[in-house]
Amino acid sequence: MNNTFQAPTIEYGQLAPLLLVFGAAVVGVLIEAFAPRYLRKSFQVPLTFVSLLGAFALILVQVFVSGVPTAPAAMGAVAVDGPSLFIWGVILILAAVSVLLITDDDHFVPQAAAVPGSAEEDDALAEGAAHTEVYPLVLFAVGGMLLFAASNDLLMMFVALEVMSLPLYLLCGLARRRRLLSQEASVKYFLLGAFSSGFFLYGMALIYGFAGTVDLAGISRALGTVSGQDPLLLIGTALLGVGLLFKIGAAPFQAWKPDVYQGAPTPITALMASGTLVAAFGALLRVFWVALGNLDWDWRPVMWGVAILTMVLGAILAITQTDIKRMLAYSSIAHAGFLLVGVIATGDARQNADALSGILFYLLVYGITTVGAFAVVTVVRDAGGEAGHLSRWAGLGKRAPALAGVFAFFLLAFAGIPLTSGFFGKYAVFAAAATGGALPLVIVGVVSSAVAAFFYVRVIVLMFFSEPAADGPTIAVPSMGTAAVVTVAAAATVVLGVFPEPVLRLADQAASTLFIR
Amino acid sequence: MGETITFWVLAVVSVSAALGLVFSRKAVYCALMLGVVMFSLAVLYAVQDAPFLAAVQIIVYTGAVMMLFLFVLMLVGVDSSDSLVETIRGQRFWALVAGLAFAALVGLAIGNTIVGPAAGLAGATQAAGGNVPALAQLIFSRYVFAFEVASALLITAALGAMVLAHRERVRPKPTQKELARARFFSGYAPSLPGPGTYARNNAIDMPALLPDGSVSRLSVNRVIARHDVDDDHFPEDAKLADAIRQAVEEEGK
Amino acid sequence: MELYVPILVLAVLAAGFAVFSVTIAPFTGPKRWNRAKLDAYECGIDPTPQPVGGGRFPLKYMITAMLFIVFDIEIIFLYPWAVAFDQLGVFGLVEMVLFIVTVLVAYAYVWRRKGLDWD
Repeated sequence: MNNTFQAPTIEYGQLAPLLLVFGAAVVGVLIEAFAPRYLRKSFQVPLTFVSLLGAFALILVQVFVSGVPTAPAAMGAVAVDGPSLFIWGVILILAAVSVLLITDDDHFVPQAAAVPGSAEEDDALAEGAAHTEVYPLVLFAVGGMLLFAASNDLLMMFVALEVMSLPLYLLCGLARRRRLLSQEASVKYFLLGAFSSGFFLYGMALIYGFAGTVDLAGISRALGTVSGQDPLLLIGTALLGVGLLFKIGAAPFQAWKPDVYQGAPTPITALMASGTLVAAFGALLRVFWVALGNLDWDWRPVMWGVAILTMVLGAILAITQTDIKRMLAYSSIAHAGFLLVGVIATGDARQNADALSGILFYLLVYGITTVGAFAVVTVVRDAGGEAGHLSRWAGLGKRAPALAGVFAFFLLAFAGIPLTSGFFGKYAVFAAAATGGALPLVIVGVVSSAVAAFFYVRVIVLMFFSEPAADGPTIAVPSMGTAAVVTVAAAATVVLGVFPEPVLRLADQAASTLFIR
Repeated sequence: MGETITFWVLAVVSVSAALGLVFSRKAVYCALMLGVVMFSLAVLYAVQDAPFLAAVQIIVYTGAVMMLFLFVLMLVGVDSSDSLVETIRGQRFWALVAGLAFAALVGLAIGNTIVGPAAGLAGATQAAGGNVPALAQLIFSRYVFAFEVASALLITAALGAMVLAHRERVRPKPTQKELARARFFSGYAPSLPGPGTYARNNAIDMPALLPDGSVSRLSVNRVIARHDVDDDHFPEDAKLADAIRQAVEEEGK
Repeated sequence: MELYVPILVLAVLAAGFAVFSVTIAPFTGPKRWNRAKLDAYECGIDPTPQPVGGGRFPLKYMITAMLFIVFDIEIIFLYPWAVAFDQLGVFGLVEMVLFIVTVLVAYAYVWRRKGLDWD
């Protein structure tokens, strides 16, 4: 027996934000185990916030005290580089804002195991039961998102993908109202998600067959040295792409998004629409730029097709929707398409940095606006819960001008109207794409933005210029958390729309080092 | 030589089991066929110098995952079969086309790949002292973080099972006393004479006699009664035999 | 291949024992017919009529099954660690203990929340 094992070096400092989030999740489970029921929430909420904000603080410490690392951590498995740190920051902010919505616990079912509509459900409700497991589950999902965006290794990425997705599958099924819809959403998301994980895994195996390694930098090196095995590489790339494009909801893998977004509890939808999208773009960029960057000649045409299809499909199908959450889901699909335009806009290092910076900025502004929009959705209520159907929103501007105004503002930001953050997001990505030689894509992007804008404006017209229905929805008095989310999101959308400069510069700096290998 | 023989034998076994899995109408048969496929895979792994993978395949897949499959079948009801009506028209046809096209694509691609002679796993893991130690070195060095993060998955799984399936009691569990009281108030006879009570033969195969000497129809053992009628083998006492015949007739209706 | 010889021998022995027991029983056992033996379990209580095709399990089993899988997978990681224990040394021990403690948190949760009780 020859003793060749050497204990690995793990850069705990760099991984501290991750470790904090995971550690807090584990502590959260312990609280669930040992704290009495009436105390659980008052332990879980501070713990969740402290860990998310603490992780954010640790990122600041990393950036300003230790500097951005230049080599991957944990034996090359995790890359904590500029883009990673920026994406981590974005995810943590979005998660913290979403958790503010989650603390409003009348969105969640008091007892998931009780049959919908049964006497037991009413009992549990009367008893004040609540699934405070939601908080540790959210923390696990956030930890997975952080890791997903920073994995430097396909195996690590796969583990992170599962850590991120599994709690989300579960959380989707916990809506208090319209429970059957919620459970259906959960099952659909789970089945399709598991299927896409299978694709990812199969692609990973084929790429391993090609390169003999699952390390992203190793795959990149193998592109130049291995010959005669291109079929493995190409099919592997395609399958890996399916897995990743599913997570961002790009066409033709977008079918789950409207159903899941509609069925899931709205705070969880907000978390998925913002955090998961950001994390998945981080992973997608890492795979296609770091590992397969020298293969861009092969994947670029396919990505063109996917991006065009995603933008057009998202924009056009949004028009036909009558449910507000489904409409936002299709809008999220269209935005994934706009972001894909940035992914395609590769070139030399300078060009890549510009495109990356655009994507990072876009992810931040879109995430915040989305969380805000879903927060507004939680407040407009009917007898049966949220008033999802668009016709119920008619005349909302006359009953609740402030709320309707803020929502209209979010919609304008989605459309990318100047003086909103969405404008600068789109501008940054499209400008990078135009210089990167993807001008036709930019034109398609602008046209589909215009189509989408038509629909957003229609909703605004509906809210402000039609008569409110006599039995219209009630506007629930927003809880502190929800009010804070709407305020923060609206403020961010305004500020980033008027003075985007500091954040744009930050994104530039984060992107300037590109991904480390 | 041994490897070749094992491969061809298992190829036949696992492919026919896989076909059985797809074409069998009963879910339980599908699950058992899946067990055969998984087991054959385990043996194939073992033959290919991968003892750890073989062990995992048997412990996790053939053992745990198969068991979970059977459990879920039992939860749903063994008998329930799928509705064969297509919810999306032409779905099955297009799924078949897509599946075959994908298989052809992958087959062609892998067929076109130029691969050198296989080096074998044993050679690659020799330096570490074997397959399992080599894996251990990887798990505890480069992938140690992934390994620790995997525990988050396990916790999530346990949490998920509890949230979705565990019903916490909001009302105290009814005691025996309360149950008995409820039964009395329901008006249903609190206890029935068991088989053999007051019978001349002190055994469960004989229906009970009521205090007035008549046969209690409620105490006829249905299983034995069915056998009695099938085999035409009745107790000597005509009263009891009649009761048994009647019970079977009633059940048949 | 020699690695598997003991397993093969064990499999052959187990299969042989099972086949032997089943085939020998009808020849050696006493056969005294009695109507009562036709009853299920012969325990003296009529079996509750079952729905056709077998009943459905209560959902409670699901928790047991999931927990089994969770700890089954934990065991899988113990296997290479145990085999290579000498090489991995203290670092391996620490990491393994960390892993086991983390998974035990799940166990503590299930236990405290009465997931293991059958009421």
